[in-house]
Amino acid sequence: MVWKLLAVAVIVVGILAAFNRVPLKYTLRNLTVRWKTIVLTALAFTLVIGVLVVMLAFVNGMRKMTEGTGRTDNVLVLADGATDESFSNLNAGDLAEMEALPEVQRDPETGRPLASRETYLIVNQPLPNAPSKGPQRRFLQTRGIEDPRIAAKVHGVELLPGGSWFSEAGVQEMPDGGPPAIQAVLGEGVARELASDRTPQQRAAAKTPHRLDVGETFKIGDRTWVVTGIMKSSGTTFGSEIWAKQSLIGPLFGKSGYTTLLLRAKDADTAKKLKDFLTNDYAKVAVNARIEREHYADMSETSAQFAWAIGFVTVIMAIGGVFGVMNTMFAAISQRIKDIGVLRLLGYARRHILVSFLLESLVIALVGGLLGCALGSLADGVTASSMVTGHSGGGKFVVMELAVDAWVWAVGIFLTLVMGVIGGLAPALSAMRLRPLEALR
Amino acid sequence: MAETNGAIVRVRGVHKYFRRGSERLDVLQDLTLEVPEGEYLGLMGPSGSGKTTLLNLIAGLDRPSEGEVWVGGQLISAMSEAQLARWRTRNIGFIFQFYHLLPVLSAYENVELPLLLLGLSRSERRRQVMTALELVGLADRIHHRPGQLSGGQQQRVGIARAIVTDPTLIVADEPTGDLDARSAEEILNLLDELRRSLHKTILLVTHDPRAAERADRVLHLHKGQLVEQAQ
Amino acid sequence: MKILGLILKNIGRNPLRSILTALGTMVLVFVVTMVWSVLWVLDLITAEKQENLKAIVTERWSIPSRLPFAYAAPISDGAVRQPGDIRPDDSMTWQFYLGSLDPKNLTRDSFIFAIACEPDKLGRIENGKFVTMMDGLESLSPKDQAALLEAIDRLKANRQGIILGYNHLANINRMTGDVRDVNIDQLMGKRIKLFGIGGYKGLDLEFEIVGVFPAGRYDNLGAFHRDYFNNALDQYPQTHGGRKHLLADRNLNLVWLKVPNMAAYNRVSAQIDQSPSFQDPAVKCETASSGMAAFLEPLRDLIWGARYVLAPACLITLSLVIANAISISVRERRPELAVMKVLGFRPAQILWLVLGESLLLGAGAGLASAALTYGVINWYFDGLRFPIGFLDRFYIPINALGWGAMIGAVAALVGSFVPAWTARSVKPAEVFAKVA
Repeated sequence: MVWKLLAVAVIVVGILAAFNRVPLKYTLRNLTVRWKTIVLTALAFTLVIGVLVVMLAFVNGMRKMTEGTGRTDNVLVLADGATDESFSNLNAGDLAEMEALPEVQRDPETGRPLASRETYLIVNQPLPNAPSKGPQRRFLQTRGIEDPRIAAKVHGVELLPGGSWFSEAGVQEMPDGGPPAIQAVLGEGVARELASDRTPQQRAAAKTPHRLDVGETFKIGDRTWVVTGIMKSSGTTFGSEIWAKQSLIGPLFGKSGYTTLLLRAKDADTAKKLKDFLTNDYAKVAVNARIEREHYADMSETSAQFAWAIGFVTVIMAIGGVFGVMNTMFAAISQRIKDIGVLRLLGYARRHILVSFLLESLVIALVGGLLGCALGSLADGVTASSMVTGHSGGGKFVVMELAVDAWVWAVGIFLTLVMGVIGGLAPALSAMRLRPLEALR
Repeated sequence: MAETNGAIVRVRGVHKYFRRGSERLDVLQDLTLEVPEGEYLGLMGPSGSGKTTLLNLIAGLDRPSEGEVWVGGQLISAMSEAQLARWRTRNIGFIFQFYHLLPVLSAYENVELPLLLLGLSRSERRRQVMTALELVGLADRIHHRPGQLSGGQQQRVGIARAIVTDPTLIVADEPTGDLDARSAEEILNLLDELRRSLHKTILLVTHDPRAAERADRVLHLHKGQLVEQAQ
Repeated sequence: MKILGLILKNIGRNPLRSILTALGTMVLVFVVTMVWSVLWVLDLITAEKQENLKAIVTERWSIPSRLPFAYAAPISDGAVRQPGDIRPDDSMTWQFYLGSLDPKNLTRDSFIFAIACEPDKLGRIENGKFVTMMDGLESLSPKDQAALLEAIDRLKANRQGIILGYNHLANINRMTGDVRDVNIDQLMGKRIKLFGIGGYKGLDLEFEIVGVFPAGRYDNLGAFHRDYFNNALDQYPQTHGGRKHLLADRNLNLVWLKVPNMAAYNRVSAQIDQSPSFQDPAVKCETASSGMAAFLEPLRDLIWGARYVLAPACLITLSLVIANAISISVRERRPELAVMKVLGFRPAQILWLVLGESLLLGAGAGLASAALTYGVINWYFDGLRFPIGFLDRFYIPINALGWGAMIGAVAALVGSFVPAWTARSVKPAEVFAKVA
């Protein structure tokens, strides 16, 4: 869509350029003559487009994350009626039979089904060293896993070098002799988030400055947790999760049952069949089965909402910028009425005048807009926290990266061109309508 | 065809009037005029006599209320505005009192302007521009902008721009009106030169008797009518 | 006064430019007003109050918070155990319920999220004053207040009554095929059945609509009698082979407490924290604003972006548009400014002539924009619909009129100072040399 619009805009500009007879030098030199107002006008474009690019990068980042999380060959099973993991409650007795279904793949090494029983919990973490103003706690999304090795295979998640999955016990003794610490594997986003709690000494001693790393600890209430590994999870919602031993943390936070069963099928088609079977024909217990990829992709409502808001705000800001360029162009024309008269006397047609002034406004717009795209692109890769929600309720807190890509640039340049044409049109029309004799008088 | 005996401009029974409210303002009344090819014609008359209006009609900048204007065998009084614009590029060279050069363009670029509408190659344009500038004696100032040139030099750039398309007719509206005596003299000499060596037809509107006396023929306009012919 | 006349004349001299500049100012002020209105509300609800504040008691570790209903009474009492302990001024229990109007179509539009509570905590008249535990309902218009009190009376009288939010009514309208404006009177008394979903599966409840919350804060919230909810849970085993509902033991989601001041809050909070009655699950007590802030915490980067990137970018764009317009005007008027100097105008007067023009234009357009925004958003659109967390729509505060004028004036000053200074420094000799 955007690409088509941009293509149309570029073609329009191309046609304008092809029809142009007044030398471009004339246009460009006049811009340098009035450089102060031109800079002011272009800077307004820079700001509008720059802000647009940053905001789009945000939505784009959220979209990439929700669309890039989960696999198409995994089936996510939740309790019937539950649309979100945090509201789901599965009966443990029902799971073994589902895991044994023939569509579920088996681990070639152990022969066990590639199925992961999980308890998804949102935990309140009182903020250590929180300033008295502002929030006193944060939400940590925690996933209790039974067997991390199987779970890693089902999810297709790997650890960054140097890390390891938690042990069978899920806890380890700490050198300070206190109670054993809960072993946890962190997503990159939450590792970064938790690093903001470090004391200055810890920060100075940290191996990895921007996030927690293996061996570091954090506290939830009075329990100490120790990081055994960091998941390669950037760009997925798992990046905002903490994984630990289910049998340990379920009871700890008052949720001993499972919320989620994740089943790996041979391929996407089998997964689809498995999902349909569990949803429609599975007699033993009613469940809500979904393709994992779709489950996360559905969490796009927040991005859609923000996309609308951004569109709205940008269009209005753009209108402001358009008024600016109109002022500039009207002033340019009134200053060059004699030039226009001479050109018309020399045989330049009305359309030549129109095109020339439209191009002038487009040049101002493009200089400002491209600078805006470039400045806005500095936001690429910046991490931000946000929330994603689905159409049917539920959602996740995520740490995501702003993503500036060709699509974002396309939107930015398209808007630039549209603003340039709209801002230049009325003045250019007024220039076109000038009668040569009156212009020279 | 009406065009005969070598007249390049034929004005026949032209009326031009403007309306101001209910009042009709007659600027030209039943005016008939022929200009043979190669003639240097001076038009004189007091302000408001209609001489500039007549010039504008002949140069295709305006259309008569009644009557016909033929230039170079074409009935320009019947052309649309767009046709006129195209026609002017090839057929008319303008010289103005205040030069009207585009300030941001160099002498060369100003002279080149009319050629850009003609679809010539860059080298052809360059040849024609340089010829015109050499003719007016400014081949060494091609990169100067109008602001860096004297009034006389600017007017010479104006003349180069007027002749660069090799037009049928050169119209000059008070070309010396803004110049000191010496520069004016130079410009008038240049016009003589154009007529002599290029056999251009020139239509000169002026107040200045010294300018008028260079012309082959001088017509006086008074209240929209030709009153007197002098040789 | 002479200067003011001149300023007005100058504004009128190039009406096109003045109008373009004013329109540019208006649209940009519009954006800032909207953004600030949202931030204003967020700041307001997260601002820690010192007097008459609310506390919120929830499960200590886990979200969603689920407590045994047995906690309701002791928490509402502030867990008083010994003489000298402080009781909260007021309290309210919330038991969430999520049901769908259409079990076949589980989309948000069919969902009704409601709280089971004690009806008179929603609002009542006490000592001649309206008292409520619901944030944002404290200062209703007399009309809205009367309507709400009537609805609450009906709720007290009818155990199966429910008060809904506007969006629910709109959705019910849509489902019954009527997409026109919500007609409250028509829906009043209508019976609806909600099918429990998620954790509420199996809890299907029938209701009669007895009222609607005043538009705004509670457009997505329903409220009904907690006795009805608890009864339904109690009777569940009778229809389900003796099995208790999953929520039978943990169906109290939160308790609101009202305390007179920060000191009282600290006492009550400590009483609850130290009470041996709340061990499994443990509970926490925090101020309402701190609880809200925690919920908004995941959006902090967005809020930061709106506050420190979007709004400033609009303000700077605005200054640029004004600076551009004014510097064009000044350049065009150089000759006449020079004449004025020759005629004896002092530099300061020239400076004010230019600054005044842009100030008047900026502040005027800013005020007009804010007033329009206020009127159109609040009255025509009935608030700016922008769901963030538990908030659904935002109203433009009356302060926006002040912001509008101020933003316009400040941007005008910033934008026109340099051109005004240039004008002030016009040297007649130079200008005339160029003109001549």
